[in-house]
Order: sequence, then structure tokens, then C-alpha cells
Amino acid sequence: MSGVVVVDVNKSFPGRRGGDAVVALESVDLHVDAGELVCIVGASGCGKSTLLNIVGGLDTATTGEVRIDDDLVVGPGPDRGMVFQGYSLFPWRTVSENIAFGLECAGWPKARRRDRVDELLGVTSLADFADLHPGQLSGGMRQRVAIARALAPEPDVLLLDEPFGALDAQTKRSMQDFLLSVQARTGATVLMVTHDVSEAIYLSQRVYVFASRPGRVAEEITVPFGASRGPRVLRDPRFLDLREEIEDLLHPVIAPS
Amino acid sequence: MTALVARSAREAPVDDVTSPPDGRRPGTRGRRQGAFGRMRGTIPRPMVFILGVVGVLVLLGGWWLIAATMGGDAFLLPTPPETWDAGFELYRSGDLVRDLWASVRRIAIGYGISISIGVVVGILIASFRSAEAFVEPQVALLRYIPASALTPLFLLWLGIDEAPKIALIIVGTVFFNVLMVADVARAVPQELVNAGYTLGAGRLKVLRQVVFPYSWPGIIDVARVNLAAGWLMLVVAELLAAEEGLAFRVVRAQRFRAVDTMFALLIVFAVIGLVSDLGLRWLRRRTAPWSEGSR
Repeated sequence: MSGVVVVDVNKSFPGRRGGDAVVALESVDLHVDAGELVCIVGASGCGKSTLLNIVGGLDTATTGEVRIDDDLVVGPGPDRGMVFQGYSLFPWRTVSENIAFGLECAGWPKARRRDRVDELLGVTSLADFADLHPGQLSGGMRQRVAIARALAPEPDVLLLDEPFGALDAQTKRSMQDFLLSVQARTGATVLMVTHDVSEAIYLSQRVYVFASRPGRVAEEITVPFGASRGPRVLRDPRFLDLREEIEDLLHPVIAPS
Repeated sequence: MTALVARSAREAPVDDVTSPPDGRRPGTRGRRQGAFGRMRGTIPRPMVFILGVVGVLVLLGGWWLIAATMGGDAFLLPTPPETWDAGFELYRSGDLVRDLWASVRRIAIGYGISISIGVVVGILIASFRSAEAFVEPQVALLRYIPASALTPLFLLWLGIDEAPKIALIIVGTVFFNVLMVADVARAVPQELVNAGYTLGAGRLKVLRQVVFPYSWPGIIDVARVNLAAGWLMLVVAELLAAEEGLAFRVVRAQRFRAVDTMFALLIVFAVIGLVSDLGLRWLRRRTAPWSEGSR
């Protein structure tokens, strides 16, 4: 298992009509150790998704670098499975065919491919839906397929971009537990972006709180709960304190002038 | 319940309780809409069929009525039975089958090449800025040349065989196909492309396994729309120089003032259009049942 290291990443977009460049990310340093689940939490527009895309190789940093096991990230690859907020399943492929996509790209022989797909259908409790198309699934099930698809080619790192952002509260909770169980079983290294503070605390070992304009790490917080999370954690006073602390970081009280 | 709003002086008198002023029935709220006239509502499937058949019958009846009242002068406007007879005669002589085959073959080859170019070039310019920058100005320039104006040139260059007709069908449709396929391929969500990349697909694989399958139902729609232009070009080509073909047969019939034959040929054109349209819709349903609009 491998870790992710982000070193002094800056990202700026050219301004419109010759205006000033927009700084999306400013000297971001962070790391995810092997087998760790780390969340980046921040308001929308703080550049957290941009950072995740840079780690995924879909975007490039203006300066700075991302390394995975000392290898420099220069583009996207199946070693970093990504899950997006929604609508990223291939609608013409069935659930099994979606999960098999990465395996086809990697040139797995058919029999091995089928075994791996079956295994993931089991892990994600999707066996009964293997032959359905994404259009026939609920939002939560689609995201389970997306996670299974990203896990299929055995990535070193799983990158999640607000994967549960479009789900209703009940589905979201069960998907969070699902993610924890998948991570416990596979030992995956996970970097996840979210704007949901409770979700970040509930899931992660560590949380990076992002500040906006320019996007930067405002605080790194270690979550004091062990590996086994459950509803009890949500009522732990430390959980509530932590949530308040992060909320204050995200929405600093503006002093009346 | 008491009224939420104070009664105004303009309101209906109190004794007029049997017919509320908004036309609704007493004891009900709101207006009921029947299935037939409900805006954007669905109607039963048999009704769809019956309405369609009635529509065609109205068209046919109108034609018959006009033809009959104009003194039954078959010279200028034949009645449906006269047209049928002329069409049957054309079929019996073997001309219809030969002409039909000649025209359909030209369309199949010419339009097939055109849509193939459209798919390849359209997907390329939708996917690569470099291809777009190179091709788009050319297309923008060329597409405004009326393809039918090129007919004499093609006849000079390519003779009077099949080549100029097929070339004309290609030139008359390929720019539309390229630009419209490009629009379809541009609509592929970036997230799907990104998903392809992060699952290990290279650019070629993303084009073939993500962009193309997502665009496929849209490509069929483009093919359906522009096929009409393909037939238009075929007719232009056959009117000027041909020894067989449906439009050639129309010109030939005109020389003999055989209006009934001309009408029969026009109906053949309409039926071919209908059949190919239904065929492409069927293909869309069969090959892309997942797509919205595959009904």
C-alpha cells in the first residue's frame, strides 16, 4: 500500500479578459499514509476538487508536485481510482460491465475479469443488480457501482470527490458505513473531498480543513476515534466539539466593523 | 371553511351557488382535464395509432376530394385510384424495382460514406482543439457553397455514371453530418471522459469506448435528420443526368405528361423516407435502449 504526498502545490487560472489570475490553490502541503482515510473539508469553491483532480492527474499544478510512493504524478492512471459526485457511470454498460471497464483496459483475461467483478459485486452487495443499467438504479446504488468500478483494477489510492453529495440523508449514512466497511476489508488508502463536516469526522483518521480564496490548508486535525465507527461516535462529546471547531474554521465569525 | 380572502363587491351574488364563476362544477375544486386534450399528457397507445391513421386518411380524402372536384382531369391531378394504377403499372413493367434499386444504392453508398466521414471527423473536432482549429474554418467556408450548384462541375469531372451522383450526395450532406456529430460528441459529459482516464483508458480507448458509445444514439438522430438532404441531392443529380433512378423516372413521366405516374413516384419517395426513418428509430431502440428518447 502506498501513500500520497502533496508538496507545495499552487494552482492559478488565467484571469478573464486580461484580468488578474485567479489563485485556486496556494502552497498546499498534505499527505495520506498507506491505509489511511483522510478527508479534505471546505466550502464550495475553495479548490478542494481541483486539488483532488491534480492528485488524480486530470489537472496539473502550476507549481509543486504530487508523489505516490515517490513516483511523480504526471497524468491519470488506474493506480488512482476516482469516484465523482454522480453521473460518471457509463449508461450503455450494465453494472458488471461498468465494473469490468478498468479490467478490460488493463488487459485482464476474461475468466479473471469475471471473478474480480463477482468479488466486487459481493463486496458492494450488488450481485442482484449485475445486469441492470445505471438508469435503472437509485442514486445510492449508482455510487456503490462507481466505488466498485474504481476499486476493480486494484488501485493504490482511492480518490473520492463528494461521492455522497447528491444523496439523501439516510442513503448517505448507509453509504458512509459502506465505505468504512470496504476500506476495512481492502485496506485502501483513501483521500476524500467533502463539504459535510460530520461526514469528514465520521469517516477519517485525519481531516484537512481548507480555507477559501485562495484555497489553502487552514488546519490539520487528527480525529481521536479508533477504527470502529458507529452511531455512538456521532453522540460522542468529542465529536460534537470537533464539529464545532471545524465549523468555526470554515465560517469565521466576522467582527462588526 | 371560511374564505381566506375578504369578499369583494365584484364577486358573484350569494344566491348563485349552483354555478361558480370559474366554470367548475359545484362540489369540486380545480378543473378536470380529459385524456384527449391534456397538454403534454399521455394518451392510450391505441388512440395514438387511431389518430395517426385518421390523419393519413384525412390527407388522402382531401387529395381525392380536390382531384374529383377539378373535373376528374387526370392530366393535372390524378385521383388516388388512378395513381395506384399508374404505380402498379410501373411495378409490373419492372421499371419501379430497377429505379428503386438504383436510387437506394446511390443513397446507401453516398450517404454511408458521408455519415462515416461525419462520425470520424465530427468526433475528432469535438475531442481535439487542434482538429477543431484546423477543420472548422474549412467547413465554415465550404458549407455555404450550395452543393446542387456543383452538379455541372461534377458531371464534367466525373462523367455521367454513378460517381457524380454519389459525390453530390456526399458533398451535399457531409458538412451537416460533421458539424452535427461534433455537437453530439461535445455533449459527452467530462466526468465520463475523466472516469475513462482514471480507469486506465488511453485517448484512443476513451474515444472508442466512451465518446463513441455515448454519442451513438445522437449520431443515429443526426443520420435521420440529414438523410432527407441526401435524397434531395440524389434527386438533383438524377434530374440532370441519369438512365435509371426514381427522379429520372419522374422526369421521364413528365415528358409524357403522365401525372399519375409522377404522383405514384412521389408517394414512393414518401414511403422510402418513412421506412428509413422508422428503421433508424428501430435501430436506436435496439442498440441504445439506455438512452433517453429511444422510444
